[in-house]
Amino acid sequence: MEILSVQNLSKHYEKFDLKDVSFTLEEGYIMGFIGRNGAGKTTTLKSMTRLVHPDSGRVNMFGLDFATNELQCKQKIGFMLGGVDFYPKKKLGTIAAVTSRFYSQWDDTEYQRCLDRFELDPEKKIDELSAGMRVKFSLTLALSHQARLLILDEPTSGLDPVSRDELLLLFQNLIEDGEHSILFSTQIISDLEKCADFITYIKDGTIIAKTDKDSFLGAYRLVSGSVDQLNAGLKSKVIGLREHKFGFEGMIPTADLPVASSLKVTAADLEDIMIHIERE
Amino acid sequence: MKNLLYKEFKLAAHPTTYLFLILSTMMLIPNYPGYVAFMYVCLSMFFIFLGGRENKDIYYTALLPVRKRDIVKARCLMIATIELVQIALAAPMAVLANHLYHDAGNLAGIDLNVALFGSVFLFFAVFNITFLPIFYRSAYKVGIALLYGGIAILIYYIAAEMLVWMPSPISTFLDSLNPDDMIKQLPILFSGMLIWVVTTILAYQKAAANFEKVDL
Repeated sequence: MEILSVQNLSKHYEKFDLKDVSFTLEEGYIMGFIGRNGAGKTTTLKSMTRLVHPDSGRVNMFGLDFATNELQCKQKIGFMLGGVDFYPKKKLGTIAAVTSRFYSQWDDTEYQRCLDRFELDPEKKIDELSAGMRVKFSLTLALSHQARLLILDEPTSGLDPVSRDELLLLFQNLIEDGEHSILFSTQIISDLEKCADFITYIKDGTIIAKTDKDSFLGAYRLVSGSVDQLNAGLKSKVIGLREHKFGFEGMIPTADLPVASSLKVTAADLEDIMIHIERE
Repeated sequence: MKNLLYKEFKLAAHPTTYLFLILSTMMLIPNYPGYVAFMYVCLSMFFIFLGGRENKDIYYTALLPVRKRDIVKARCLMIATIELVQIALAAPMAVLANHLYHDAGNLAGIDLNVALFGSVFLFFAVFNITFLPIFYRSAYKVGIALLYGGIAILIYYIAAEMLVWMPSPISTFLDSLNPDDMIKQLPILFSGMLIWVVTTILAYQKAAANFEKVDL
């Protein structure tokens, strides 16, 4: 079942345009939303949830039009915008007590279970938590109101590698029941390698790829060769071409790989793909 | 709305909100301008909005399953409640002060009488209609909102006191603690209340309309 569908979302700013952003997410999967700083990730997430008013476009969540069923949809989503940094001097328990009142499906047992599972002390204040614990508190709030779709804006940013790994594992555990789905933006490519099922890639406000991770990885190859091997035909196909005095290196769509060439061809990982695309 | 109001008082209320309510006791200071205690309330509102900005209250609240208009409505209701509580606390203080000083009146402005409280409703009405819509134009420029709100209430305060001090047929009964004069002052109290209610509703509507347009 399609849990999220974004169609032709556009937003014009003086110096930036979000252009016809479209993608879908099926229930029970994790989608990584990647792009450089300023590519439009946060604007997309905010436009989806109408924190920012999109100029056009349509968002459906759980089969409902978000614009006309905003409150109903919000009951079922957990949205974390750049870490939990609201009310840093308030205790977790106080914030949870206030938050719980807004959700009809709030489950105190689940809340307690999450506190235990994540080793969160409700007597602690938000600013006494590490960045990783803050994300866990945000997840606690979302899971306690039984959110089925988690929209997380850069949840792993600022986390040490161990916390990041732990969190990504947690994401995977969460979707195992097939009822939760996660859309998370990141610029840390290794996050996606570890846990994303699908990848949506945004560049300069435009979606340039939306596919499953393996197809995305399979779609490109790294190539390198000597100066003589770089003919005009090849040059036009190489993405992120970098020439040096011994030859060249770049990335090429797998479909455009010259047959039976003596070029050195290697598999590209996600970081290679992003770096070469952004070089363009 | 009940939940949002609970959130306002549980999370958003700044300690000065309650502290400045105690300043209703300033009514007991002899020969002291009657409006000052109420000016502090306006300042405490500024602290609530400033605290809200520092604590990212708008983001926290906007992500909850609530309408944007209702976020503004809850805040306006909170402000209106604080204003009413302040007036409710100041009124017995004024009665007590007049009793303590044997109805000697106030040399530093209008006497602590019925007309003053009618005027205080107008004073808050002026603040609300200025401060709230201006703040919700951006939902973060609280200093600008206070500047305009502050100028507006200062102009109102000067005008209201001038009306009392400048000799005119109404100034004779405005600055008085005489029971007969205070009966004459009752229409000022009632019209002040009515104008406060209408203006605060208008302030909410304008503020909510402004906030709807804001991209967070």
